[in-house]
Amino acid sequence: MLGILGKALISASFVVSLFAMIFYFVAANKDEEKTLRIGNWLFTAKVVFLVAASGILMYLIFKHQFQYYYVFNYTSLDLTPRYLFSAFYGGQEGSFMLWILISGFLGFGLMKWTRPPYKGPVLFFLTLTQVFLLSMLLGWDIFGLKLGASPFRTIAEEMPNAPFLQTNPDFVPADGSGLNDLLKSPWMMIHPPILFLGFAMMTIPYCFAMAALWKQKYNEWVGPALPWTLSANVALLTAIFLGGYWAYVTLSFGGYWAWDPVENASLVPWLIGTAGIHTMIIQRKSAVAQKSSILFAILAYVAVVYETFLTRSGILGSSSVHSFVDLGLYNQLLAFMLVVTLVGLGLFFWRYKELPSPEKEAKVLSREFMTVTGAMLLLILGLVIILGTSSPVLGQLFVEKPTPPEISFYNNWSMPIAMIMAIFTVLGQYLFWKKYDAESLASALINPLLVTSAVTIASIIIGDVRNLYYMTYLFCGYFAIVGNAWVLFRLALQKPKLIGGSLSHIGFGLLLVGILASSAYNEPLVDQRTANYNEAVERGEVTDEQGFTVTQKEEMLELYLDEPVLIDNRYVVTYEGYELDNSVRRGQQNYRIRFEPLDGGKAFYMQPEVYPMLTSSSNENIQWSVDPDVRTGLFSDIYLYVGGSSYVQEQNDRIAENSMMQNVAFQDTLGEGPEVQTIEFKPGQTIDVGKFKIRFVNYSRTDTTQLPPNTTIGVRAEVELIHPASGRIFTVDPLFAVYSEQGQSYIYSPPSFIPDFDLEFQFTQIKPQENSIEVTVTGLEEEYEPEWVLIVADEKPFTSVVWAGTFILMAGFSVSIFRHWGRERKKNKE
Amino acid sequence: MKPKLIIGIVAIVGFTSLLMYNFGESISTYTTFEGAAERSTAHIPGTWDEEKGAEFSMETKRFTFYMKDEDGVSRKVVYPKPKPNNFEEADQLVVIGEMRGDIFYANEMLMKCPSKYNDNDPGRFVNASDS
Repeated sequence: MLGILGKALISASFVVSLFAMIFYFVAANKDEEKTLRIGNWLFTAKVVFLVAASGILMYLIFKHQFQYYYVFNYTSLDLTPRYLFSAFYGGQEGSFMLWILISGFLGFGLMKWTRPPYKGPVLFFLTLTQVFLLSMLLGWDIFGLKLGASPFRTIAEEMPNAPFLQTNPDFVPADGSGLNDLLKSPWMMIHPPILFLGFAMMTIPYCFAMAALWKQKYNEWVGPALPWTLSANVALLTAIFLGGYWAYVTLSFGGYWAWDPVENASLVPWLIGTAGIHTMIIQRKSAVAQKSSILFAILAYVAVVYETFLTRSGILGSSSVHSFVDLGLYNQLLAFMLVVTLVGLGLFFWRYKELPSPEKEAKVLSREFMTVTGAMLLLILGLVIILGTSSPVLGQLFVEKPTPPEISFYNNWSMPIAMIMAIFTVLGQYLFWKKYDAESLASALINPLLVTSAVTIASIIIGDVRNLYYMTYLFCGYFAIVGNAWVLFRLALQKPKLIGGSLSHIGFGLLLVGILASSAYNEPLVDQRTANYNEAVERGEVTDEQGFTVTQKEEMLELYLDEPVLIDNRYVVTYEGYELDNSVRRGQQNYRIRFEPLDGGKAFYMQPEVYPMLTSSSNENIQWSVDPDVRTGLFSDIYLYVGGSSYVQEQNDRIAENSMMQNVAFQDTLGEGPEVQTIEFKPGQTIDVGKFKIRFVNYSRTDTTQLPPNTTIGVRAEVELIHPASGRIFTVDPLFAVYSEQGQSYIYSPPSFIPDFDLEFQFTQIKPQENSIEVTVTGLEEEYEPEWVLIVADEKPFTSVVWAGTFILMAGFSVSIFRHWGRERKKNKE
Repeated sequence: MKPKLIIGIVAIVGFTSLLMYNFGESISTYTTFEGAAERSTAHIPGTWDEEKGAEFSMETKRFTFYMKDEDGVSRKVVYPKPKPNNFEEADQLVVIGEMRGDIFYANEMLMKCPSKYNDNDPGRFVNASDS
C-alpha cells in the first residue's frame, strides 16, 4: 500500500516538475514575475512530494518491509539504525533520490538569492536536470516501454518468474540480504551525501552559464555563480578525500587512489570545475575569458553526467570494482547525457559569434594569460582522465574487447601536466597581484627559487631520490609550495581575505609532493630473509621448480605466536594472539601485533581485523574479509593487514570436514580416530597441552537429580581450558560417579564438549591418595601447529602530506567562498 | 592564416596524436590462455575451476588455483599474494600476468563480484530468502 503511494508521489513529483519547467521557460522567455512565481510553487510541490516519497522509503527500510525489492536487497534485520539510514542511498535508485532531494533544496537557495534576469533561466535548467533524474525513478511501463526503476517495486515485480512466487504470490522473505560488509563503515554515513551534494551543486554553474547564453548577458553571471562553483568544488573535494581515506583504511588494495572509474567520476568534474573557477575569477577581474568560463561551466556538469552514465549504465562492466549493473536505464541515461551536452554546447556555439572576444592578445607575462593557461591545463588533465576512463568505449578504436589502460597511462600523463601547472601557479600568483616584466619577475623569484632548490636538494639527499624525473617533479612541487607561500605572507599582511588562491595553490604543491613520496617510496616491511630473497629476485637469480626465473617478490610475513621477528632492521614484531569480537561483525577476529622500534621509541600495537562476510558466506563456505589497520604518523604510515591465520585455517578445515562428513555419511574414510590423552592434575594445577593450558580449578557440587540411582560417589571437576592465543577460556564440569546395580559397581563419566575446538572431556578417575584426578581429553592433538598469522605490511612515507595538502586546498577554496559570497550578499541587499 | 594559429593547431594535433598513441599502447585486449602465450602481459578473464581447488602454500607464499578461460581451457594460475577477499564469490576473475609453459603467473587479479551494487542474481536471491 505504502509502496503504491510512494510510486504515486514520485510520479506526481515528475509531472509537477514538467509543469514547473514549462512555467519557468515562459517566465524566462518573457521575464514575467507572475509566471515565475507559479513555477516556484510547482517546484516547491515537487520537492514536498519527493520528501514524502523519501520518508516512505525510509519508513519501509526501518520497518523491514522485505516485500519491497530495494529494502530486501540492501538491508537486513540485524542492521543498526545508522546503516539502515545509509541503506537509503546504498543502491542506485535511492542514490538518485538523494541527488534530486539535494538538488531540490539547492533550488530554494537559488530562488532566494538569484537576481533577474538570470533567475528564470537558472531555475528552468535546474528543473530540466531534475526532470531527467526523476524519470530514472518512475517505474512506468508505457506499452512495454519501461521508464525508470522505482525504489518501491516489490519482489514480485522485480522477478515475476521466480519459482517461489509461482507457488506463493504473497511470499515475503523473512530477512533481507543485507548491506555489503564493506559498506558497513561510518564513512558510508557521510561520503555519499557529500558526493551528491557536490554533483548537485555542480549543476548550478551549468545553469548560470546557460542563463547567460539565453539572456545574452555574458559578464554578470560570474558573480553569483562563483560561490556556488567554489562550494561544489569543496564538496567534491571532500567527497574525494573521504572516498580515498575510506578505501585506504578499510580495503586491502593498499592505497588511497587507484584510478578506478568511479573515483575518476568525481575527480574529472572537480578538475573542470576548478578550471571554470580560474576563468570566472579572471573574467570578474579583467573582463576577459567569457567564452572559457561558459564553456568550463557547461563541461563540468557534462562531465558529471557523462561519468554518471559510465558508472551507472553497466557499460564499464568488469573494468571497475564498483560500477553499478544496468537497471535498464541505459537509454534514459544516454538521453540525459545527450540533452545536457547538446543543449549546452549547441547554445554555446549558437551564440559563439556574439560572445565577447579580447581585442588584443594578452601578453604572456600577465595574470590573464597565466590563469587561462592554468585552466586549460586543468581541462587537459580532465580530458586525459576521461579518455582513460572511457576505455571500454574508446578503446575499441584500437582493439577488440579493450581492457582498462595500465595505471602508468594515468601517471605518465598527469605527472608532467601537474609539473607545468605547479610552475604556473607561482607565476600566476605573482602576476595576479602585481605587474611584472620578465626581468623584474625573475628578480622577484630569486629568493623563492633558492629556497626551493635548497629544500629539493635536502629531500633528495635525505630521501635517497635517484630518479632524475622524480627530482624535477619534487622541485616543481616545492616551487609551488614555496612560491605561493611567499605570495601568501605578503598578502596576509595587507588583505587577509584574499589569500584563498595562494593558500589553495600551497595545498596543491603539498599534494604533489605527498603523492610522489607515498606512492613511489612505498616499502614492504619484511624480515631479513625475505629482503634477501627479494634482492635475489631483482637480480634474476631465483628460479622455480619449472626452471623459470621468478619475477614476483614476496611481500608478506609469517609470524608465530610470541616469536619476535626483526623487520626491516627497525622493528621487533611479535604476534601476541587474537580476540574474537562479535560486537560489530559476528565472528570477527582482532589480531594483536606488537611493534617495538629498535631506536628506542615507544612500542605500539597494530590491530588488523578479519571477519566472515555474512552476506555471502554459507554453511559450506566462509568468505573471509579483511580490515587493515593503519598507523598514521607524521613522517610515515604503517599499513598492515592479515592475509591468513591458523584460526581462519582451522575454521575452513572444519567446514570442509563437516561438509565431507555430510556427503559421505557414516563412512569412516578418515582412517584413524581422534587422539585421546589423559591428564592427571591436582586442584589449582595448570598443565600445558599443545596450544592449550588446562587447569583443574577444584571439585564442585553435584546436583543429585542428574545422577543415576544408587550412586555412592558423585563428584564434578571444574576444569578450565585456556586458549592463550585468543585469550578464550572455556569451563567444563565433567562428572565422575560410581553407582551400584545388582551388587556391582559401575563408573559413570559422561563426556563434556567444547565445540569451538572439537574437544571432549571425561572425568575418568579420582586418586584420593595423591589428591589428584584424571581427565581424558579426546580430540587434542599431540602434534600441533603453533598459532600463526600471515601479515602484509607496508610503510608509506608522507601520506600525512597528502592529507595536509587536501585540507589546505579545502581551506583555500573555503576562504574564497567567504570572500565571493560576502560580496554577493552585499549586492543582494542593495 | 596567422602563424600563431598554425602553431596552435600543430600543437593540438601533436598532443592529441601522442595521447591517442600512448592510450592505444597502454590498453590491451582480453584474451585467453592460448592467446596469452604470444604476449608479455595478458589480461585473461575466466572463472575459477572449483573442482581442482585452490590453495595458499605457506612455503612458497603463493596462492595457486586453476582457472577456466573463455574457451573452457583450464590452467594453473600462481598469484604471489594471499587469497584475495571474495575469491570464491567472484563470478568472474581477470588475471593479469604472463604465461610460462603451462602455468600462468598473475601479478594482479581482479574479481567481478556480485556486490551489493550490482546484485541481480536470482539464484542467490532464492538462497538468501530460504535461509
